[in-house]
Amino acid sequence: MQYFEDFPAGRRLDMGPFHVKAEDTIRFARQFDPQPFHLDEEAGKKSLFGGLSASGWHTAAIGMRMIFDGFLKDTASQGSPGIPKLRWTKPVRPGDALRLQGVVAASKASASKPDRGFVTIDYEMQDQQGETKLRMTATHLLLRRGAAA
Amino acid sequence: MKYWDDVKVGDTERTGTHTFTEAEIIAFAREFDPQSFHVDSEAAAKSIYGGIIASGWHTTAVMMRLMCDSFLNKAASLGSPGFDDLRWLKPVRAGDTIYVRTTIEEATPSRSRTDIGSTRGRTEAINQHGEVVLSMNNIGLYRRRPAAETT
Repeated sequence: MQYFEDFPAGRRLDMGPFHVKAEDTIRFARQFDPQPFHLDEEAGKKSLFGGLSASGWHTAAIGMRMIFDGFLKDTASQGSPGIPKLRWTKPVRPGDALRLQGVVAASKASASKPDRGFVTIDYEMQDQQGETKLRMTATHLLLRRGAAA
Repeated sequence: MKYWDDVKVGDTERTGTHTFTEAEIIAFAREFDPQSFHVDSEAAAKSIYGGIIASGWHTTAVMMRLMCDSFLNKAASLGSPGFDDLRWLKPVRAGDTIYVRTTIEEATPSRSRTDIGSTRGRTEAINQHGEVVLSMNNIGLYRRRPAAETT
């Protein structure tokens, strides 16, 4: 189990690969983001994305899954207060093999609650060509070592 | 069809509502965010949340659906390059009902393309108690009204 103290500034994290499937991007888009360029190849070709693309919210959710599998499952994570910044830099497409890299940018004990701390991580998601698909700064809430969970 | 030219600073949209069920909270979390306080009621009861809460990414996905249904799919939306300052302010639990309110704060024509404009807005999800559970500063891209077309 890893705690707040195990995420000092500068620590690097490597996650993935995650393989994106067409049936999953279309299912997610039907449920949560039914814009034509996420549902239909022809509509995608006519859009700014130049082809069928995953919903950015699906890309973010995939990022979350990569973070969970990559390291968060073995930590005293208590969720997240938010995402200071996120950019969808290129569309994610079916067939993409995504990797995610993280660097701890800041680590700060809670001023009000001595059992926890905040870890800010800069993430970058790349595809199999090395193209950057997403950049995100996320704040994680983690228990401190020795905190009664 | 609503184009970028029809969007004005100060415009507010209010969506319909969505009520979360425990089954959908767990299904989303199993696929994307299987932290114990999203999928396991016993572990969640012992967590700082005191019970199962929806993944924050589930809340944002539902927010997107509400916006598509109420206005985005009637607009010349071209997607979004991203957002800033997303905050999950309150947990969302089974039985909670949210709606989304979004207010345009900036509308800027593209410098490089005459057929596109962007907007920035403050978007909030609000629960049945009137509490803001999520807020963000989102960016939208819209097609501009074609020259040949009139209102």
